[in-house]
Amino acid sequence: MRRDAIYVALLALLPTVAFGFFALFFSNNAVENLPVAVLDRDRTPLSRKMVSMLDATAAVEVRFEPSDEWMGRRLMDEGEAYAVVLIPQGFGAAVGGGRSARVELYDSGLNISANGFIAKDVQTVVATFAGGVELQLLQSLGESRTQAMAQTLPLQFAPHILFNPTLDYGGYLAPCFMAMMLMIFSLLATVYAIGSELRLATADEWLRLSRGSMGVALAGKLLPVWLVLVWWAVVMLFLLFALLGVVQHGSWVVLVAATLLLVVCYQAVAMVVVALTANMRLALSLGGGYCVLAFTFSGLTFPEMAMAEPLRWLTHLFPFTYYVRIFIDQAVRGAPIGYALVDMSRMALFCVVPLLVVGRLRHICCERAYWGRR
Amino acid sequence: MRLLKWLLACLRETLAVMLHEVRLLRHDAGVLLVVVFALLIYGTLYALAYGRQVLRDVPIAVVDCSHTPSSRSLRTLLDASPDVAEAYDCADMAEAERLFYARKVYGVVYIPSDFERALMAGERPSVAVYCDAGYFLMYRALFKGAAEVVGEFGAKVAVERLLAAGVDAGRVQSVAQPVIYESYTLYNPYLGYATFIMPAIILIIIQQTALIGIGMVGGTWHEEGHYRLPMVSGRKRLSALAVVVGRTVVYAAIYALTATYMLVVHYRLFGYPMNGRTADCLAVVVPYVLASVLMGITLSLLFTRRESSLVWLLWSSVPVLLLSGASLPKEAFPEWMYLAGQILPSSSAVAAYVRVQTAGAPLSAVAVEVARLWMLVLAYGVSAIVGTYAVIRRQASTVGRDNDG
Repeated sequence: MRRDAIYVALLALLPTVAFGFFALFFSNNAVENLPVAVLDRDRTPLSRKMVSMLDATAAVEVRFEPSDEWMGRRLMDEGEAYAVVLIPQGFGAAVGGGRSARVELYDSGLNISANGFIAKDVQTVVATFAGGVELQLLQSLGESRTQAMAQTLPLQFAPHILFNPTLDYGGYLAPCFMAMMLMIFSLLATVYAIGSELRLATADEWLRLSRGSMGVALAGKLLPVWLVLVWWAVVMLFLLFALLGVVQHGSWVVLVAATLLLVVCYQAVAMVVVALTANMRLALSLGGGYCVLAFTFSGLTFPEMAMAEPLRWLTHLFPFTYYVRIFIDQAVRGAPIGYALVDMSRMALFCVVPLLVVGRLRHICCERAYWGRR
Repeated sequence: MRLLKWLLACLRETLAVMLHEVRLLRHDAGVLLVVVFALLIYGTLYALAYGRQVLRDVPIAVVDCSHTPSSRSLRTLLDASPDVAEAYDCADMAEAERLFYARKVYGVVYIPSDFERALMAGERPSVAVYCDAGYFLMYRALFKGAAEVVGEFGAKVAVERLLAAGVDAGRVQSVAQPVIYESYTLYNPYLGYATFIMPAIILIIIQQTALIGIGMVGGTWHEEGHYRLPMVSGRKRLSALAVVVGRTVVYAAIYALTATYMLVVHYRLFGYPMNGRTADCLAVVVPYVLASVLMGITLSLLFTRRESSLVWLLWSSVPVLLLSGASLPKEAFPEWMYLAGQILPSSSAVAAYVRVQTAGAPLSAVAVEVARLWMLVLAYGVSAIVGTYAVIRRQASTVGRDNDG
């Protein structure tokens, strides 16, 4: 095992690179200073105030002040700016003269995450600005300050952003991407461990060493792999909580147990894939393909409820879906443990499936026809 | 004359390499699965999963402690909004919390018991909206839906009050709404998820399957010792140039077919925006496919076994997508990582293709990316030829000895 380059890759080198990548990638805490162009046609103190208010927000940075619409569009075409804010001529005069002024935002739907941050901040700035103007207008109409406040905003919108108030998506994406890596390495290493006995035609010797017991053979083969993967699971949780500062409101026991269960689940899936294909290379391809799909169907980025009916069923074919739920429920939401236990028992079902194929696995190990297949 | 003869020999050898590569592909279901079918299968599965594009009617729970005509009209407005739908009418917050943890609802709207009285008395009652910002799209729909409804309801009340207070009807509008805010989302007006992510995914699958697939065949070259012997008679050893050109032509031809299907037929089937001129799109895709294939050939020299490439590269798809800046904006991660990511053809190609095809930007607006792609074609072309030459030399000198990965 020590000598094999692929074992070294799957159990030492690649996990280091992959976990390192995500730890670095999400080391910036929030999205800041998305470049935006402002076309200020008004150029009055009031319009300048609006521009500096925009620049002062967390997500928006007024990086360009194009001289016309064509240049603004060009900046977006070139990917330099995510949005153009247009302050039309007469803005200051309208505000001063008690007429409605206009502000227009042209944002790009090409990157909907950037769009979300920008739209929210620009809207907030305009609302704050408008609120101030309205207050002054009402006071000039002879209303007292508190009365004026109630007039301008008769209803108070009090958003309570539960969990993730800073909209730091790293806190959600980092755990899920890292767990995805753990899943990929668990599956590939296990497929490789069993499959290479077939490919290198050493399966009968492997079985003989285990005195003919498939259970002993598998345990002997997979236990060391599992132990290394457990080490990586611990490293992953350490990176997430200690280094990246992902919140932890739930039960440590549940989180650790679920992570270990994830490893076992994908080891189990690996056994099934090898048994069914009896071909290491095909098993690697199919198993790998199955892993890559898991992220989409976990519903983390595009929610399951928005998927069409038959595709929504597919989400249940991936233990990863349940793991993502457990992680968010426990670490982020601090949900009662009961929900996690339900999801964990669903994951446990995946671990039972290999029992159905042990017979076939023994058969292909003893049958010369399956050896050395590519 | 001698030059012509030499050229003909080169051509003959290139042809031999091409036929050889096709033969290897034809007998290898695993590689065909990766190089030809993965793009079609994954492209279609992802497109189907994201088929509905937008999130509508996110289920929420409403805790209405007021039970008055005013609170009911606010709730009617909420339920009528396309973004949210009132799924449960809860007696208290504890019940709403249970529904939230059970994932029956994704947000809670709380209307206080003195809502109507405070509204009448001009005291600014507050409507509390609890939303979970963990799931980006749900949070977005909920926040936007609730904010719009509360704003609309408030504006109606404000206008009524101003009119009642005797403010001139002509001025009411400008007092209640002194700044009119209009926002227009360009290129993807409904912020469709598939329109946003599918172009990047399709392009990245092209690169990743090329790297893994060509790597698998590269492993076979090593395993079966194809680098060792010339493929045409009258040559001492294989020509590196012929190997690289021959292999590139085969894979470029395969991707010309599959990429055309994905970027034309699939695009139309799923209705993704096609605002670019065909020539501009080709100007991005052609160097992209070439750079990906040449990068694949370069990497394939490192894989001594057929399964190596998949094991080494499978994990990288997500990092490659992230580095392109197509999903999270590039401002969200360290700049040096974005710059380092430019050695991947996908980084330039995704950025350029999305702007040309989805946004309809002219070719001149993506000139930087296209130039970078051609630079990558050159760089990976040189590395493929030099690397192949080195491998051929080493292998030819060790004829007879078995290579071990």
